[in-house]
Amino acid sequence: MSSNAIEIKQLTKSYGKHRGVEEVSLNVAEGDIFGFLGPNGAGKSTTIRSMLGMLRFEQGEIILLGMDSRKQQKEILKYTGYMPSEAAFYPGMRARDVIRFAAEAREVECSEEANRLCELLEVDGAKKVEELSLGNRKKVSIVCAMQHCPRLLILDEPTSGLDPLMQEAFFKLLLEYNSRGTTVFLSSHVLSEVQRYCKNAAIIRQGRIIRTDTVENLSKSNLRRVKLWEDGQEQEFTYTGSMKELIGQLAGRNIEDLLIQEPTLDELFMHYYEKEGD
Amino acid sequence: MTLLKHELKRNMKSLLIWALSIGILCGGCLLLYNTLEDSIAEMADAYSAMGAFSTALGMDKMNIGTMEGFYATEIGLMFALGGAMFAAMTGAAMISKEEEGHTSEFINTLPWGRGYIAGWKYGALVVLLLLFQVICLLFIVIGFAGAGEWPPVKEFVLYHGAQLLMQLEIGSVCFLISALSKRRQIGGALGFAMLLYVLDLLCRVLPDLENLKYVTPYYFSNAADIFTSGEIHMGMAFISLGVTVVSVAVAVTVYEKRDLVA
Repeated sequence: MSSNAIEIKQLTKSYGKHRGVEEVSLNVAEGDIFGFLGPNGAGKSTTIRSMLGMLRFEQGEIILLGMDSRKQQKEILKYTGYMPSEAAFYPGMRARDVIRFAAEAREVECSEEANRLCELLEVDGAKKVEELSLGNRKKVSIVCAMQHCPRLLILDEPTSGLDPLMQEAFFKLLLEYNSRGTTVFLSSHVLSEVQRYCKNAAIIRQGRIIRTDTVENLSKSNLRRVKLWEDGQEQEFTYTGSMKELIGQLAGRNIEDLLIQEPTLDELFMHYYEKEGD
Repeated sequence: MTLLKHELKRNMKSLLIWALSIGILCGGCLLLYNTLEDSIAEMADAYSAMGAFSTALGMDKMNIGTMEGFYATEIGLMFALGGAMFAAMTGAAMISKEEEGHTSEFINTLPWGRGYIAGWKYGALVVLLLLFQVICLLFIVIGFAGAGEWPPVKEFVLYHGAQLLMQLEIGSVCFLISALSKRRQIGGALGFAMLLYVLDLLCRVLPDLENLKYVTPYYFSNAADIFTSGEIHMGMAFISLGVTVVSVAVAVTVYEKRDLVA
């Protein structure tokens, strides 16, 4: 029995002449919260949709929960919850009907959990889906993905459209499910949420995995964006190295204000990309 | 069963609009028959002198001036075209509406599998076509009862059986189109239903194009032919059944293999 919830080996998927993903390989251990970082168009959704059987990939192998995604798709989906980046449902249906429909499709009685999730996320079940904002549709999607207490949660950009309070409630739920044994695969382009909640992560760029490591190691790049105001002039640069050295270099200069931030995702990608090229 | 119920609910409005429109139109015309009997008799004389046009509409075989003839030519035409259009539209939207409405990620990540989804969606199409027949028949029977005349039962049953087979064939071909496309091809589906009707007219009028009768299902399900001969051309009915089976099999196979857009 595999101790990995997700094993992707040499996954290659193209759309005609267009690149999808090339030789993507990664493992996610059971019980992990795994971040999948990449800019738009990097191949995150292609990877996820190949995992879920929406796309037929030409090369490679995907094993989810110890089952082959090509041969045991239905069985995999029984134990998986998926939240797509764009939550779209059937116009005319009420939120509670969508949630019930998803539960009936899974042939599980999970109304108690669904009600609890709706209460926590403040989902108005009586509203029709076309009356819901993106954020509220996302909340319905969260309930559909979580109500059956899946062994694996696959989340594609889950927080886009959610307000900060809801994001907080969502991650609280995620940690609760994870503590009960659910493996979480979190695709995102928000570095901070991956840094905050994930144990391990992979970075994908232009269809290829650039690096897979613990979030701690990935964050150890020491790359920082430095903004300073000196003699009325604003200067901005990225810095890699120890803080002690930076402070030493800045000492004695006529600095009026200083801001040291974590790099943007693009800067981090460029950092790893350049390192990859070295 | 969950998916069947879901599809029936999603299509109920469209079913009611089409079935009530066609049913009331057919039943209403039958109810008006007695009132308009004299005018219809005049029309019958005019039609009988229209040569190829009469042949195309089956008026060379049946007299529009009788209740049976009126049903087999006028009502039969309305029912055939209405039923074919409903079958085409419903079939063409059945699968592709998921990708067009961005719900394919939702439905395809439920633990069903694509074969199951396509199978139950086709099942829903069949049930909808049956319900369409039942609702229309209800109004047609009311129309006959109101007019106080009844058609011969055997021919009436054969005709509606042939119509159901025709609707299934058109619906199934459009179901295949739906499995192939990412957008609802409603215009194309309606065009397809109309094209088959035009082929029926052409093969009846032009002897050189007679073989088109094996292509268009309007031919074997023509009311005037069935009411005059008292039978359905079984060879053509089997061709129709074959096209239906092949279309569904190809639709399921294609849908299982192709990439789905979100």
